[in-house]
Amino acid sequence: MSILYDEGQEAIANESARILEARVNKARQLELLEMVGEYDETFWHTAVEQGWTALAIGEEYGGLGLGLVELGLVAQAAGAIISGAPFLTSGYGVAHAIETLGTDEIRANWLPGLAAGQFRAAVCFAENNSPLPMRPLVSSSEDRLSGRKPAVTGGIKADLALVYASIDGGPALVLAPLDATRRTAVASFDNSRLFADIDFDGTPCHLLVSGEDARRLALDVLARMAVVTAHEQVGGAQTLLTTARDYALTRKAFGQPIGAFQSVKHRIAELYGQLEIARANCINAASKAGQEGFLVAAADARLSATEAYDTAARDCVQIHGGIGVTWEQGLHLHMRRTRSLASEQGNMLFWEDLLVDELTGVAA
Amino acid sequence: MSNLDDYRIEARNWLASMAGMFGCEARHGLSHEDDLALGREYMRARHDAGFSGINWPVEFGGQGLSHIEKVVFETEEMQFGMPVGYFGISLGMPVPILMRYGLGENGEHLPWVKERVLRALRGEEIWCQLFSEPAGGSDLAGLRTRAETDGNGWRLNGQKLWTSWAQYSDYGVIIARTDPTVAKHNGLTYFWVDMKAAGVEVRPIKLAGGDSHVNEVFFDDVRLEDSQRMSPVGGGFAVAMATLMIERYVATDSGGFGPHLDLFIDLMRRLEVNERPALGDGRVRSAIARNHAMRAGLDSITTRAMLMLQAGMEPGPEGALNKLVSVRSRQKLSELAIDLMGADGLQFDPSASQKQDWGSSWINSPTGRIAGGADEMLLNTIAERILGLPQDHRPDKGVAFNQIPA
Repeated sequence: MSILYDEGQEAIANESARILEARVNKARQLELLEMVGEYDETFWHTAVEQGWTALAIGEEYGGLGLGLVELGLVAQAAGAIISGAPFLTSGYGVAHAIETLGTDEIRANWLPGLAAGQFRAAVCFAENNSPLPMRPLVSSSEDRLSGRKPAVTGGIKADLALVYASIDGGPALVLAPLDATRRTAVASFDNSRLFADIDFDGTPCHLLVSGEDARRLALDVLARMAVVTAHEQVGGAQTLLTTARDYALTRKAFGQPIGAFQSVKHRIAELYGQLEIARANCINAASKAGQEGFLVAAADARLSATEAYDTAARDCVQIHGGIGVTWEQGLHLHMRRTRSLASEQGNMLFWEDLLVDELTGVAA
Repeated sequence: MSNLDDYRIEARNWLASMAGMFGCEARHGLSHEDDLALGREYMRARHDAGFSGINWPVEFGGQGLSHIEKVVFETEEMQFGMPVGYFGISLGMPVPILMRYGLGENGEHLPWVKERVLRALRGEEIWCQLFSEPAGGSDLAGLRTRAETDGNGWRLNGQKLWTSWAQYSDYGVIIARTDPTVAKHNGLTYFWVDMKAAGVEVRPIKLAGGDSHVNEVFFDDVRLEDSQRMSPVGGGFAVAMATLMIERYVATDSGGFGPHLDLFIDLMRRLEVNERPALGDGRVRSAIARNHAMRAGLDSITTRAMLMLQAGMEPGPEGALNKLVSVRSRQKLSELAIDLMGADGLQFDPSASQKQDWGSSWINSPTGRIAGGADEMLLNTIAERILGLPQDHRPDKGVAFNQIPA
C-alpha cells in the first residue's frame, strides 16, 4: 500500500525545495570539488536552521517526531541541488539506532544534540567493498573499539559514529565518539561527502546490541538510510531530466530544436519512466518504515532510484554534447554524485541479492 | 475506504463462485466457438449479478458507480481468466461512445441505443472498432477508407485492418474519409456500421502465435444512412480521439499481461544454471531483482492513482508508463525463462494462457508492444504531452490529403 502526501508533507517538499534553490551556489560547489575534507557549510546551516536535523527524532528529545516520509522529501530537495553535506542521512541512521537501542542515558546524551545539529554523525558499516560485512574486521569489547573503517561518509567532520563491529565472534552495533580517533581524509571525485578512513585504537565506545539482533538492526538502519538516499537520487534525477528537457527545447541543430529528434526525445521520455518508477518506489518504501515488507520496498526504491539517477546523469550529459563535459557547466557535479550515492548504503549488487534473499529465502 | 474493500470482497466472492464454470480450467481446450458461447453465458451471469457496466448510467443497464469500482472489479476479474476477451473492446470503447454520440440530435435514437447497450452488456451483441488500416495505424488520420454521399446517405468503400473480434461482431464504429481535398485530420467522419450488411466482408488474420482474433474487413459499396453518422461531417477525428480516451482508467498489470514474477521465481527454484541452483546465480538474481523493482514501481503508481481517484483528484500522467514498461519487460523475461528451461522450453502449446505460460507469453509479446499504441508512439506521447518536447517533423501537416505524396 502506497500513500498520497498530505498537506503538511507537501508543504515540507515545497518549502525545502524553495529554500535550497535560493541558496545553492554552483561556483562554491565546483570549488569544493577540489578541496579535500571540506563541505558546504551554508547547506548544513540551512538544514539545522530549518529543523531538518530534528525532523525524524522524537519530540521528547527535541525532535519534530516526524518520519521517513518527511525526511525523504527534504532529501529529494537536497538531491535536486546536490546536497552540500552528507549528515542528514547518516544523522538519521544514527539517531534511529540510538532511539531504538539506546539506554535513557545514551538517548539523553546524544539525541537533543543531533536534533539541534550540534553533533554530526557518521555510520561506519562498510569494510573494503562490503556494505555490511559478515565478519567485520573492526572489533569491539563492551567499551573499547579497534580497527579501521575505510572511506566513511562524513567521516572527517563527524562527532559521533555508529559502528558495525565484531564482538565475541558475532556482530555488534556500537556507538563511538570520534574526537579521539585518527582520521585520514580520502581524496575523492566528490569531496564534499567528506570521506575519511577512521582508525579506532582502543577508542572508548558504548555497546548498543550484539548477536543476530545487531545484524538485523544494522540492516534496518541501512535500509532506512538507503530510502533517504533513494529520495536524494530521485531529486537529482528530476533536476537532470528537467535540465535535459530544457536544453533539448532551446538548442537547435539541423534547423530544429534537438528535442524534436526521436533519438533525443525518446531518451528523455525513457528517463521520465525510470524517474517515476523510482519516485513511486520511494514513496512506497518511506510509508512502510517499521512495517512488514520494508526491506523489500527499500530494495526496490534503492535499485530503481540508482538506475534512474545514473541514467539521468549519463543521458543529460550526452544530450548536452560538448558543453555537457565542461567544468563550468557543472553537470559533472551530478555525475560525481551519482557514483558516491550509488556506493553509500551499498551498491546495486548488494541490494539485488538482499531483495532476492527476501523474496525467495535463498541466499546468493 | 472500507466500502471499497467491501466491494472488492463481494466481487472476489462472486468471481470465485463462478470460476469453476467459467475460469481458466473450464475454458481449457475449448474451440473458439464454444469459448465464445461460454463467454456469452458469463456476460449474462455477470450482468444479472450487477457487475457489468459498473460505471455506466443505470438507465442504460449499468450500475451507476464510479470508475474506481470498475477498476477494482476488473483487477479482481483478471485473476480468474474469465472468457471476457471477446467483449473487452466492445464494452471498452464503441458502446460507451455510442451512448455519448449515437443518440441523435434530439435523442431520437435513444430507445435503439438502449437496446444495443443492454444486449452488448449481456454478451448478446458485440461491437468492434474499425480504425486501423493498411495506410493508417499509428498515423490514424492517414486512413483511406472513404464514405461518399449517396442520396441522403453514404456509400462506404475501403479496407480496415487489425480489427479485433470483427468476425464475431454485430456492429462496428468506423472512421472514414469524407473529404480528401482538406488536411488529413479535417476530412474524416465517424459512423456506426452494421457488420452483417451487404458488402461487408471479414477475413481473419492468423497471427504469429497461431490465434486469429484480428481481421481485415472489406467494405464494398456498403450503404450507410445519415442517421448512422456519429460526428459532424469532417469532425470524425475528434470523436475517434474521444473513443481512445474514454476508458482512461482501466485495470493495469505490471506483469505486462504476462506471467506474474512469482511464476518466474517458482520456475527458478526448480532449475539449475550450469548444474548449480538457478536461484544462486547472480544473473538470475539480477533479473528477478530488477523486474521486481520495476513492477513494484508500476504497482505503486497504480495504487496512488486509485487513492487519487478516491480523493476526487486527477491521477498523474505517470499512469501512461504502464503498458510501455511492463510489456517489453515481459518480453525479455519470457525469453530468459524459455532459454533457462532448456529442453522443456522448446515445448509449445498454442492454446496456453499468456499469463501462465512462458512460450505463449513470449510469442504474443510483440502484439502487446504494437497494439493500442506502439512503444514508439507512447514515447512520443510522453515526450510531447507530459514533457512538452516538440512534435516530430511532419511533412504532411496542413497539406490537403490528396496532395500528400503516397
